[in-house]
Amino acid sequence: MTAPKIVGFICDWSIDIGPLLSGNRLRDLPHVYIIRVPCSGFVRPGWLEDALNQGADGVFVTGCPYGDCLNREGNFLMRDRVDQLQRRLQRRRIDPARMAMLAHGLHDRTEFLADVQAFSDRLSEIATARTTPAPSAEPAPAPGGSS
Amino acid sequence: MHALYGVGIVVLSGLGLLFAAGIIIGEATDQWFLGGALIGALLITYSFIILLLRKMGMIGPRKAER
Amino acid sequence: MSMTAAPPNRYGRLMTSLLRVTLRLDTFINKIYPTDFNPLYYTGGLSNLFLFVLVLSGIFLFFYYEASLGVAFESVRYISQDVPYGGIIRGVHRYAADGFIVGILLHLFRNWFTDRYLFSRDNPWISGMFLLLFGGFIGFTGYQLVWDERAQLLTSMFIAMLRSIPAVGEPLARVFLGGEGIGEGTLVRILFLHIVPASTLYVMLWWHYLRLRHPKIWPPGVWVLFVLGIVFLLAGVIPAISGQPATPSARPTSFPLDVFFMLPFWLLNWLSPGVVVFLSVVLFAAGLAVPYFSRRETVADMGVRHAGVAQVIDGNCTGCELCYFDCPYNAIIMVPSPGPGLSKAAANRTLLAVVLESRCVECGICIGACPFEALELPKFMERDVQAHITNAVQPTQA
Repeated sequence: MTAPKIVGFICDWSIDIGPLLSGNRLRDLPHVYIIRVPCSGFVRPGWLEDALNQGADGVFVTGCPYGDCLNREGNFLMRDRVDQLQRRLQRRRIDPARMAMLAHGLHDRTEFLADVQAFSDRLSEIATARTTPAPSAEPAPAPGGSS
Repeated sequence: MHALYGVGIVVLSGLGLLFAAGIIIGEATDQWFLGGALIGALLITYSFIILLLRKMGMIGPRKAER
Repeated sequence: MSMTAAPPNRYGRLMTSLLRVTLRLDTFINKIYPTDFNPLYYTGGLSNLFLFVLVLSGIFLFFYYEASLGVAFESVRYISQDVPYGGIIRGVHRYAADGFIVGILLHLFRNWFTDRYLFSRDNPWISGMFLLLFGGFIGFTGYQLVWDERAQLLTSMFIAMLRSIPAVGEPLARVFLGGEGIGEGTLVRILFLHIVPASTLYVMLWWHYLRLRHPKIWPPGVWVLFVLGIVFLLAGVIPAISGQPATPSARPTSFPLDVFFMLPFWLLNWLSPGVVVFLSVVLFAAGLAVPYFSRRETVADMGVRHAGVAQVIDGNCTGCELCYFDCPYNAIIMVPSPGPGLSKAAANRTLLAVVLESRCVECGICIGACPFEALELPKFMERDVQAHITNAVQPTQA
């Protein structure tokens, strides 16, 4: 069971990500690829969608704690955009749990890693649920499926 | 934890009632400083009640921040 | 280059430590309060709330105060003891003033240590320094209005400081006093110098908010209640009192110190008035210089956080105004489009987005808002992000 492929956009003002990285990936969670951005509001929802379409299992954006965005509104705007993206992609049967918005401050490394781990576990659950056939009482599910 | 917050809210509400009674007494006996101080205490109590309600989850953040 | 990578010079390291400490305080408060209730995120709004309380209580006090040498002290006594709740309102005014200065100082230090004065955010900083200066001066004249012995001593100290200024000092002192010494015109002038600068504060606040969209001018409800509560509580428990009335023969030599407004006068214990004036001027000038000389990181260290001012890709812009609505600094304006765009979506546009580069802080929020790829940060463009994404979804080794 391979680890889910995760792409994370981290606001460079929010969490101090440098010490956690090895190359572009998290040292503790090497299946997570980190892209540093100047503000969480910089992220185009189109990029999140592209990442999912190109094979990522999950994608998340991390900004400053709500109320403390260095650029004042970026994290609120991004939270709204992620909400809207989740609703739009639901029509294409993409599970909204595959996109997430996190909010962490400079010192919140352990909470951040815990959140990413939980996100990763949730994605593994979704992937397992997708590939496990339904119980025998029902007819075999149709092949293919979401995304 | 939840229950603790609930107990806290009840206790604070009781305190608030006491303060309100004190304000009326202060007004009735022309002790303006007592009344004023208790107005302050009452407002502080209200602020903590709202904090506890929020920590209980009964009042929530704006949708954008969930 | 992480945000707190060790900068090469000692100053940079000092400022980075201050940044870490400031944000470390947040973690303690965020354990108790939800982040949208954290008062340190609303220091400007808290100051505004205190100012509002000051204005309302000040209007009340103004109705009863008499600015005349013989009567001022008595009018203040009348407010404190004979007007119902007058003493409470006087105390509220006193403690809200202290709260105002505390709020402004928290606001100043937090915004300084967390790099919130960079790029075009020097405008709120400069106007903020003037707000601090005026706020401090208004507090000082407020203490003078009581016209007790403390006020008398403060006045003579202030005159001494004015007189120590070369050339203009003596005329300034005469204007302040309304003559050669303290006379009938003095208190009227001090009252003027209390109320008019307080009104000017609102003009300067307009200047302060100029480049900000949705400035946070009001704290969360929890803190409105708490702040109002604490000033009333303090006013009731520790009533604001006057000292002995000021008389021409009194020669007071000491007074209780309000640390928020009277520090320069405290320094007169050891330094001459001229030196104190000089130090104050130097300190104020240094404060004004912060946005220009206080850089913690070099441009290279800032990496993606200094990716160049946003550029509009004219051919793609459809005039949808989404970037205009999202920019937190009002740095984008919409102008009538001089001609059609290149892409199909942009062909029928009536408006075009223009970035005012002097207002852009290179945050990139407009890039995230634009659905038409009509905005880019020069050093971190769409293709760079796409390269990252392609990199990211490669199968990993092992």
